[in-house]
Amino acid sequence: MHAKGLRALTLATLAALTVTLALVVFYAPNDADQGFIQKLFYLHVPIAIVTLVAYVVAGVLAYKHLRTDERRWDVRSYVVIHIALIFNILGLVTGAIWAKASWGHWWVWDEPTLVSFLIVFLLYATYQPLRFAIEDPERQARYASVFAIMAGAFVPLNFIAVRMASSLVHPRTFATAEGGLPGEMMLVFLVSLAAMTLLFWLLVKYEIAHKHATWQLRALRRRLLGDDAVAPLGRSAAPAIVPEAVGRRADAPAPAPSISPSDAPGAAR
Amino acid sequence: MTLLATVLAAAPAVPYDKAGRFVAAGFIVLFATLLVYVLIMATKLQRLERELADLDAELQRRERAGRAAAAGGEDGP
Repeated sequence: MHAKGLRALTLATLAALTVTLALVVFYAPNDADQGFIQKLFYLHVPIAIVTLVAYVVAGVLAYKHLRTDERRWDVRSYVVIHIALIFNILGLVTGAIWAKASWGHWWVWDEPTLVSFLIVFLLYATYQPLRFAIEDPERQARYASVFAIMAGAFVPLNFIAVRMASSLVHPRTFATAEGGLPGEMMLVFLVSLAAMTLLFWLLVKYEIAHKHATWQLRALRRRLLGDDAVAPLGRSAAPAIVPEAVGRRADAPAPAPSISPSDAPGAAR
Repeated sequence: MTLLATVLAAAPAVPYDKAGRFVAAGFIVLFATLLVYVLIMATKLQRLERELADLDAELQRRERAGRAAAAGGEDGP
């Protein structure tokens, strides 16, 4: 069910990444100032944009979780933040490579754009430890959602604050006063942005499909072999989802325990 | 080989100096990360397949036992 459309999405992502790479190498003109090294722009900037947008999306999903009390929104919010963190690291690494090539330093501490991106990363790096610190799955999901909403609101505010800063080191690529990107560069950038968005969406879908498959298998094992055949859940930062509990409101009558006594984190082992 | 030669001929002057190496490094980081992710997913998939095989074996064992019991019942008085 959750794997539906994965093959088509995988092929589309592969095609988009291939086209992006081809356009970057063969089509995009060399920048007048930076020359060939500016090609990293088509990698670094889309990754950074997708990362920041994903954090905001995770906040919206967390809000839906708090509104509806349906665990699937918490799962989606968790997975989106999980993949966004990977993209965040990619953005930091590709940015550091570009900085070394352009400015001669891997990192520049007095550059607001870089430091703010690092702050966002460090903020979200606390998300998983926060979840791990809370044993009760219901409370874990609720507290994590509150965190995701607050941090998601911080991201655009942080972005606006940095744009208003007057540093001249990091380029403002889309500043209209400076003319913005030429047409060919803009085309390649948009294709790259689409490719990175597809890649992000693909990884999120893979992760969610895997989590649901794991839990369905666990539920099947319990039905077939009994509770004793299923190892109790250990403490985990990942949301504890069970197929029959997905989509059910907390106040709805439970058809079956969503988490069996032996599953409860902290149960005697 | 002809295709590769055509592609290389169409390529603009790709600098294989410092700039080219940095750009290549950026893309290698992306694809290496993807490769690691795929390897992790493959490991998880193998684990799922093992568990599925266990369940399948258990189900077959029960079906055989059920058939044997049914056959035993028919043979009885």
